[in-house]
Amino acid sequence: MSPAVEVLQGTLDLLILKTLALEPMHGWGIAQRIQQVSHDILQIQQGSLYPALYRLERKKWIRAEWGASEKNRRAKFYTLTKTGRRQLEREMADWKQMSTAVALILQRV
Amino acid sequence: MPHWQRWFSRKKRWDEDMDEELRFHRERQTAANVAAGLPPEQARRQAVLQLGALEGLKENCREQRRGFWLESLYADVRYGLRILGNNPGFSAVAILTLALGIGATSSVFSAVDRILFRSLPYPLADQLVSFGLTAPIERNEFMLGSNYVDWRLAAGPFQSMTSMLPGVANCDLTQQNPVRLACARVEQNFLPTFGVRPILGRNFSAEEDRPQAQRVAMISYGLWRSRFGGDPGVIAKTISLDGNPATIVGVLPADFEMPTLLSTDILLPEALDEAVQRRSAPGAVLRTFARLKPGITVAQSAAALQPLFAQALQGAPAEFRNEVQLSVRSLRDRQMQDARLASWILFGAVLAVLLIACTNVANLLLARASARQRELAVRAALGATPARLLRQRLTESLLLGILGGAGGCLVAYAFLRVFVAIAQQAIPHLGQAGLDWRVLFFTFAISCLAGILFGLAPALHPPSPEMLCGKEARSTARSLLRQTLVAAQIAISLTLLTGAGLLLRSLLNLQSAPLGLEAQNVLTATISLGAYRYPAAPQQIAFFDELLARLERLPGASAVALSDTLPPSGAMRSTIYSTIEVTGRPRPSQGTGGMVAWRAVTPAYFTALGITILRGRAFTRDDQAGGQPSIILSDSLARRLFPADDAIGKTMRFAQAGPWRTVVGVAANVKNNGLSEQSDPEFYIPWKNEDNQYFRSAWVIVRTPLDPRTVTDWLRAETAALDPTLPVAMETMPQRVSKLSQRPRFNAALLALFAGLGMLLAAVGIYGVVGFSVAQRTQEIGLRMALGATPESILKMVFGTVARWIVAGAVAGLIASWFASRLLQSLLFQVSARDPRPAALAVTVLLLVAFLSAWIPARRAMRVDPMVALRHE
Repeated sequence: MSPAVEVLQGTLDLLILKTLALEPMHGWGIAQRIQQVSHDILQIQQGSLYPALYRLERKKWIRAEWGASEKNRRAKFYTLTKTGRRQLEREMADWKQMSTAVALILQRV
Repeated sequence: MPHWQRWFSRKKRWDEDMDEELRFHRERQTAANVAAGLPPEQARRQAVLQLGALEGLKENCREQRRGFWLESLYADVRYGLRILGNNPGFSAVAILTLALGIGATSSVFSAVDRILFRSLPYPLADQLVSFGLTAPIERNEFMLGSNYVDWRLAAGPFQSMTSMLPGVANCDLTQQNPVRLACARVEQNFLPTFGVRPILGRNFSAEEDRPQAQRVAMISYGLWRSRFGGDPGVIAKTISLDGNPATIVGVLPADFEMPTLLSTDILLPEALDEAVQRRSAPGAVLRTFARLKPGITVAQSAAALQPLFAQALQGAPAEFRNEVQLSVRSLRDRQMQDARLASWILFGAVLAVLLIACTNVANLLLARASARQRELAVRAALGATPARLLRQRLTESLLLGILGGAGGCLVAYAFLRVFVAIAQQAIPHLGQAGLDWRVLFFTFAISCLAGILFGLAPALHPPSPEMLCGKEARSTARSLLRQTLVAAQIAISLTLLTGAGLLLRSLLNLQSAPLGLEAQNVLTATISLGAYRYPAAPQQIAFFDELLARLERLPGASAVALSDTLPPSGAMRSTIYSTIEVTGRPRPSQGTGGMVAWRAVTPAYFTALGITILRGRAFTRDDQAGGQPSIILSDSLARRLFPADDAIGKTMRFAQAGPWRTVVGVAANVKNNGLSEQSDPEFYIPWKNEDNQYFRSAWVIVRTPLDPRTVTDWLRAETAALDPTLPVAMETMPQRVSKLSQRPRFNAALLALFAGLGMLLAAVGIYGVVGFSVAQRTQEIGLRMALGATPESILKMVFGTVARWIVAGAVAGLIASWFASRLLQSLLFQVSARDPRPAALAVTVLLLVAFLSAWIPARRAMRVDPMVALRHE
């Protein structure tokens, strides 16, 4: 296993939204997907995942529904809402801007 | 299903959903771990560990839920109530203290609000002023008709000015069921100036306000409802007023009140005849009011009136010129008169009590906070954030505040009833004072503010881990704060006590001031004859002669007299001193010399009221029947008119056209301007049958060896036998006199009440602080005793600290009292604000109470058992 990096404070929301942009998913699936896509570099604190999901749900950026999982087990699926999609675009733009800025500083100094 | 049940069931389902979601996560993780090659048992364990502490996680999730703050509030409130319940003594004292403080404040605020801040029932009432002349003899603004007709032609600083005849007159509605009403006569623009519109019909027209116009009337809302059953068809009806027809043109609004606050049933046109006013200068006396132009202040308007005033003075008699002044006052100021100062003092007193109550609660909470340091440290160690702890403690304090506020409402209601009972008549509008929603809001705001403040003060020190081990950090700063608060309480109580002492002393002086008459066993009745049944002097004279004859035959009456007016206060006839002429002496030309009161009385007047005749004799039937015109002087008038020689036998007259009268007697001085004001010199003339101006209304005075109240029925029966429709207002002389001291009694009683309350609260405060410090120092005291300290030396140690603060507070209080007494000076009667005795008494009482309330808990320190105290560790 390569050394895991903890998800930066504040970027967890962005990662969840981005993950859900592909398809509706349940909590465990989200954690797995983030880990896989980042080649196991990003390790999600499972303890912070669920409060974040509930927070996003309260802000109406994602919607929760009970459905059947792959193994026909009842599971809670999260879907990105329209406002959630807009929020994702906003956060992605912000993130790009910031990472460019940070990269610039790191190159120069 | 009730709302809260639905809420609970939804909350339960939410929790179940969360559990299931987390369980699903765990199962998938376990499966993944197994797939990665772990044995099943370890795979499950790993899955649980990866998820982290379950309960903490759940709590974090719950915090994200909508309405979570409400849940935690509910928990906080429940916990707070439990804490209060666990310390019933502490809670009772704190809530009671708050309730008393808040209750007193809001009741006084209710009363004072009606007096000081009541909105007058006129639109843009701040523009309304009372303007005109004032003189030492009349402190309310008035104008003379001859000047007024000129002034109203000049625009001046006013949008409009209006006038009315002073006071209200009795008028009789003479139809079936005749009733006696109060009629006021006002100018045509009176209602428009005040911005009042009749709710039915219309105001007088200018034509109807001319002299000799057809009589019209506007009736009050109350009369409309009671007499005409609220019939809208009342307009254009003709009523019979004093036997003359008058047409109703309008009905006044329900909240209408005269600017003079006299209750009035009917408004009639003033019908001022301009030509007559000019010709017969100075003309009629008028009350004059005006509405200021927007943006003009009262002071500016007074300045703008100066030229008119100067002009008016030129026409005035010389003796008036120096004494008359121009005055413009806001209507509110005119209505308030001297109730304003009393109200502010009341307000100050009650704020002081509130301050004491607040410091008390602050002290209690501070003390309890120290005792709870360990509990808070435990909570912090278990993971409560500082914000969460702060919120918990704020909730507790707010709970105290709200409970205290609720108790305060009850106390306020009770106090307000007491105020109204004491001084309904003495203070305008007090009777209407009620706890309205603004006052309740005020109470609630105070209690919440108090709660937040007291909650914050101790919460500002966050708990530190050292407190966990039970060693209390000796926070000297905090105990210093507590003791300063005690000193402040003592200072405030002392100020209140001194003020109350001064007012009580003044009240005693007032009530024991010699009246010049014997009030005991005297019954008085006022009877005023209607113009319709008694149109002229012969009928009036016949009535009173017959009544007097009947009353003299009563078995229980030892003396019966009639007079036109009655001391010691109220209306009386008066004349200007400088108009009195003495035979063989020129009239004094300098100044008016002030007013001289006079009354027309029957011979038995002096016996009936118990007024001593110092020299000469009282009137006889001869004086009444038309012998030589006679006069009796009061002692003060006799000394002033005849400083060198005896007044008896001198002749004088007081009205230029009147007869020359011989002085037949000198009577003792009688109070005639109320209890506290300087009395005017006075003279008496016989109630004579040929003068026809006195007899419309009269006072009947009956002296009886019986209880005066037993005579009331006889008096009523005798009057009814002559004329059953006549209203008779009866009052015993002691009642009449005691009414006069109502206002001072109100002031003194309230201040005394608040001083007592303040002292009680201060005593509770001292008791609490000393008790707490003893409890806190139990170990230290035990150690000292184990090392050989005697109980006496312990007592001295504990007591000495408190005593220093009490004395410091007393010194500060004495200084504050010195300033407060100055404010009270104008309310005092024959007491100097510099009189040191009330302050000395107050200090003595307060120190006694303070030391007693410190001594009781301090004695507990003496009885500390060293073994028990040391084992505590």
